Amino acid sequence: MKNEKYKILLVDDDIILCALLSEYLQEDSFDVETLNNGETAINRLLEKDEFDTVILDIMMPGLSGLDVLRNVRAKRQVPILMLTGRGDDIDRIVGLEMGADDYLAKPCNPRELSARIRAIIRRTQQGSTNNIVQAKLHGITLDSGARSARVNDIPLPLTSAEFNALSLLMERAGQTISKQDMTQEVLNRPLEAYDRAMDVHISRIRQKLVAAGIDDVIKSVRGIGYQMLTAPQQVQD
Amino acid sequence: MLTLSSLSSYARHTFGFKRLFWRIFIAFWLASLLVMLATGFILINNFSSDEYSKRYFNDLINQAERIIWHYEQTSANTPFQPGRLKNRIEKKPNHKGHRLPILIMDGHGKQIYHYRMSQVQPDDSVQRILLGPSDREYQIFSKKPQPPRIYKQVLYRFQTLQFGFIFLASALVSALLSWSIVRPINYLGAFSRRYANQQEIATLPKKLLARGDELADLAADIDFMVNKTHAAASTQQQLLHDVSHELRAPLARLQASAALIEQKNPDNRHTKQINNDCMRIDQLIQQILNYSKLEHYNSSPQQCDLNALCQQVVDNMAVSFPGTGIHFASSDTVEITGYPEPLLQALDNIVGNACKYSPAGQVVDITITEHENTVKIAVRDHGPSVDESEMSKLLQPFYRGGNQMHTSGFGLGLSIALKAINKHKGELRMSKPADGGLSVSVILPYTLA
Repeated sequence: MKNEKYKILLVDDDIILCALLSEYLQEDSFDVETLNNGETAINRLLEKDEFDTVILDIMMPGLSGLDVLRNVRAKRQVPILMLTGRGDDIDRIVGLEMGADDYLAKPCNPRELSARIRAIIRRTQQGSTNNIVQAKLHGITLDSGARSARVNDIPLPLTSAEFNALSLLMERAGQTISKQDMTQEVLNRPLEAYDRAMDVHISRIRQKLVAAGIDDVIKSVRGIGYQMLTAPQQVQD
Repeated sequence: MLTLSSLSSYARHTFGFKRLFWRIFIAFWLASLLVMLATGFILINNFSSDEYSKRYFNDLINQAERIIWHYEQTSANTPFQPGRLKNRIEKKPNHKGHRLPILIMDGHGKQIYHYRMSQVQPDDSVQRILLGPSDREYQIFSKKPQPPRIYKQVLYRFQTLQFGFIFLASALVSALLSWSIVRPINYLGAFSRRYANQQEIATLPKKLLARGDELADLAADIDFMVNKTHAAASTQQQLLHDVSHELRAPLARLQASAALIEQKNPDNRHTKQINNDCMRIDQLIQQILNYSKLEHYNSSPQQCDLNALCQQVVDNMAVSFPGTGIHFASSDTVEITGYPEPLLQALDNIVGNACKYSPAGQVVDITITEHENTVKIAVRDHGPSVDESEMSKLLQPFYRGGNQMHTSGFGLGLSIALKAINKHKGELRMSKPADGGLSVSVILPYTLA
């Protein structure tokens, strides 16, 4: 697998920028395909699950990046990195809530974009080559080999970021993990100012767990981070 | 609706006798009172001096007739003795009332009765001829009638309830007149102040524009001016916004191109400079967009927990300024009605500034204090102090304090904060603590109303 180039789909309405970024990323040994509008991006992504990461510009005329995200996420678990305007916190949070894996402010330094793509790919590929671990707690079973989760034998669909976050929390159940550490370990990048990515991922995990019948197992520790409780009755607050 | 209660509440809010309301009110009221007093004076003067003289002469004739009657009675049988007559008249037990000075002479000029006439000057005396019961003629002298002082009469008459009514009615009419002039002026004042402070254009009431008088013209003119100004300001803001926005696409390409050069020639020292400048332009664009976004911010207000917002800012500072300690005593929720995003931005800019200028080893203090109607958030640093004269300048866009040109700033942070705080009808205050540094306080009302 290491010899194979990772396949990236770059969706942005700025054709010149697409060309420049694609040249840069190809030089950085990615296999890049570019598309310039939302409709073709949806069709391409739903047609075949062949990309390792999708880079999606949110601000596009016609179907926006969020529309693409909504359509794709329903059927595909491919990691998606959003490019958002720097001040558009709402777009970021909405995007993360729709299941994007991470965001990057645009205009971005291509070096950082490349690093971010690698971080995402590294964590999606995590475990698949390393030792396979099974973790069990509160009826949740994680299979790090297949990168799949089950609650009482019913599959729990998780994005790769959610899977990593849940497995980190279960691995260190009973301990409080700071937001900095979680961002570093789960998203493979340092925490930024007003970085809501971890909070949104945790909130989505909670919603999915509640839907599966598991309440109150992830506790927020104000000003610090999150903790997976070892037993449900430990819930205080 | 023009009601008394609204009038009184209006008057309560308008203290100070220099106010146009009071000036018009007092002038008009005094004028109407003066007119009434003058009219009353003339009426009473004419009426009562005639009346008084008539009564005076009536009394005089009555008195004289009584004396003459006594005189004729007594002098019919016995020789006339003036002392006896005087005694009889003055000692009469049922004799009541005021007696007028009087001198009575018979037809031959013989004095038959005299009462206090010696003090009366000849100029002041009046004469009447009276026929006695026996058809004899008598001459009667007395003092000219002297009506009492006019102001006494006026006062006497005005002590009545009627006058109280007139007094109140004229006050009411004056107040209404004054109010009808001052109210539109105050309304226009509030209208332009509101635009100046919050850039909100209220619609002028149709009633005001339909008055048809000079005030209506003034209102229409002010309305026109404010709309014109607003259009100009909006165009400028929109232009700034569009330019900033449009700059982003070429900036992204520039950055990508620089990265490509860097990728091919990793030793090229110019690409680093290009990257730094791209970042700086990007930050500036962001600030301008934040600033203009506040201008057009039209989300509906919601409950915001200031304590949580401060905590969020503190958490962020730990990332942005890892070396600076922040002391913030987190407490229970402090909820106000407002706009969380602009508030967060304002607090972030203020605390960010404090951290930026805070010397190593010193902490930045954030305190929240709740008052009756407002919440105060004070951010205090121990950095270089700022002259009072410079404080207001710090709030102007693109102004950077004195010679402290910081490489990572554009002088927009506090302007953005001020704009956000103004949106909440709050206040931003700066002060110089005695032991150095700068304290910036944000005072926010609990509700936006």
